[in-house]
Amino acid sequence: MPPKKSKTPAASAAPPTHTRLWLMYPPKLITNPVIWELARKFPVVTNVRQASVTDEIGIVCLEIGGERPHVKAAIKWLEKIGIKVEPVEISVIES
Amino acid sequence: MEKHAGFMKALKCRECGREYPLTANHVCEFDFGPLEVVYDYDRIRHSLTRASIQARPKSMWRFRELLPVAGEPTVGLEVGCTPLLKADRLARRLGIRELWIKNDAVNYPTLSFKDRVVSVALSRAKELGFTTVACASTGNLANSVAANAAAAGLNAYVFIPSDLEQSKVVNSLIYGGHVIGIKGHYDEVNRLCAEIAGKYPWAFVNVNMRPYYAEGSKSMGLEIVEQLGWRIPAHTVVCMASGSLLTKIYKSYQEAMKLGLAPEARPRIHGAQATGCSPISTAQKAGMDFFKPVKPNTIAKSLAIGTPADGFYALRVMKDTGGSAEDVSDDEIRDGIKLLAECEGIFAETAGGVTVGVARKLIASGAIPADDSAVLCITGNGLKTLDAVVGHAGYTREIRPSLREFEALLDAEEHAPARA
Repeated sequence: MPPKKSKTPAASAAPPTHTRLWLMYPPKLITNPVIWELARKFPVVTNVRQASVTDEIGIVCLEIGGERPHVKAAIKWLEKIGIKVEPVEISVIES
Repeated sequence: MEKHAGFMKALKCRECGREYPLTANHVCEFDFGPLEVVYDYDRIRHSLTRASIQARPKSMWRFRELLPVAGEPTVGLEVGCTPLLKADRLARRLGIRELWIKNDAVNYPTLSFKDRVVSVALSRAKELGFTTVACASTGNLANSVAANAAAAGLNAYVFIPSDLEQSKVVNSLIYGGHVIGIKGHYDEVNRLCAEIAGKYPWAFVNVNMRPYYAEGSKSMGLEIVEQLGWRIPAHTVVCMASGSLLTKIYKSYQEAMKLGLAPEARPRIHGAQATGCSPISTAQKAGMDFFKPVKPNTIAKSLAIGTPADGFYALRVMKDTGGSAEDVSDDEIRDGIKLLAECEGIFAETAGGVTVGVARKLIASGAIPADDSAVLCITGNGLKTLDAVVGHAGYTREIRPSLREFEALLDAEEHAPARA
């Protein structure tokens, strides 16, 4: 079944944004076509830059470009389905 | 090479080896691997000798050729050269022949090892022409950036989670910089700060300045080598948050050997975490070369990084050196803090309790042999994490101002000292 189009926030005035993220997949999501689904649901451009998949974890470095509200909504959706999303600069907050 | 590069050669990707100019950049554009400073060791060998080091002022900058600034340092000139003390009483309690404590709980000016990395990051930031510096932090880093920026006359923006305890906020506010509280959970705050770092032309010490910043940690290892009489310790126990300190201590030992400052040795580097946030030690114990992210839940807030940026590299160092990793519960952390205080008169923050608790476990298991020698790296002061030990440090007994009551109290003591 094709995925339902989700509501995306209005993006008219927002400037385009471009973000680099590490996605960490739990084992149950490793076989899912998550990035394909993401691109169907949100008007964003995705580009896989690096990936490593084992039985225990999937790690993907993904660039996402688009209007800022769409990018934010896409990240929120990734987190909602159980993927951990970190900026490429992980651990920006230190003790 | 840059026109004014000092003893630095380039920034280099740890993954693919691509080289980049010595600018404020931390990530490889090709594979997003972290960038690291590479040096001209042939030139350094002629300039950095035991004699030249010992002739310099007592601060971390006596190793300046191995720190990533092009010219003379301008920020944190008094940082470092903290005591390395022989901890005989603690050694007896932990059951090891020889034990040393590298005590950065008394580092200048903000009582944690962060002053080392921040003074390097800010010195380099000034060289690169930045006038505003920034960081996102929950404690020690915020204090250090605020203090060192104030002393250097730099504009500072410090981002903190809005629900941080008042005492920690005051420790940054007092220096007069901009302290911004961000509402939201950790991941949101983290992403916003990464965005701010990408948008504003500021020196974010642990983002775009990270390659320089992280190198500051090496000074702790280099000082240990010098203070041991130009010897690399057989075992070093280091607490792990991002894992960066552990990797840089090892790098400093390698550099000391490469430059002939210390004879060849095979140091073992051991990692310490809190059980409530132990992605690296869990992976090491399971024999994995990757870690799984966790949600931190520990009193050791300064180590509470669930997705450690240098976790992979810390695992590799432990594997390459034959080191081990362990983790300790909150109660074991408090026991570690008390043990260090009671044996050596050092009040460490929770991260210090982690290091002592893990050392105790590694000695008991034989991972650090009882007839060997070890150095424990203590990274911050206990006055910063009082909340963690309030109610666990013992209690006061109150009496009226009467000698009779005092002597009655002494009599009641099980081990009351004999009176003259």
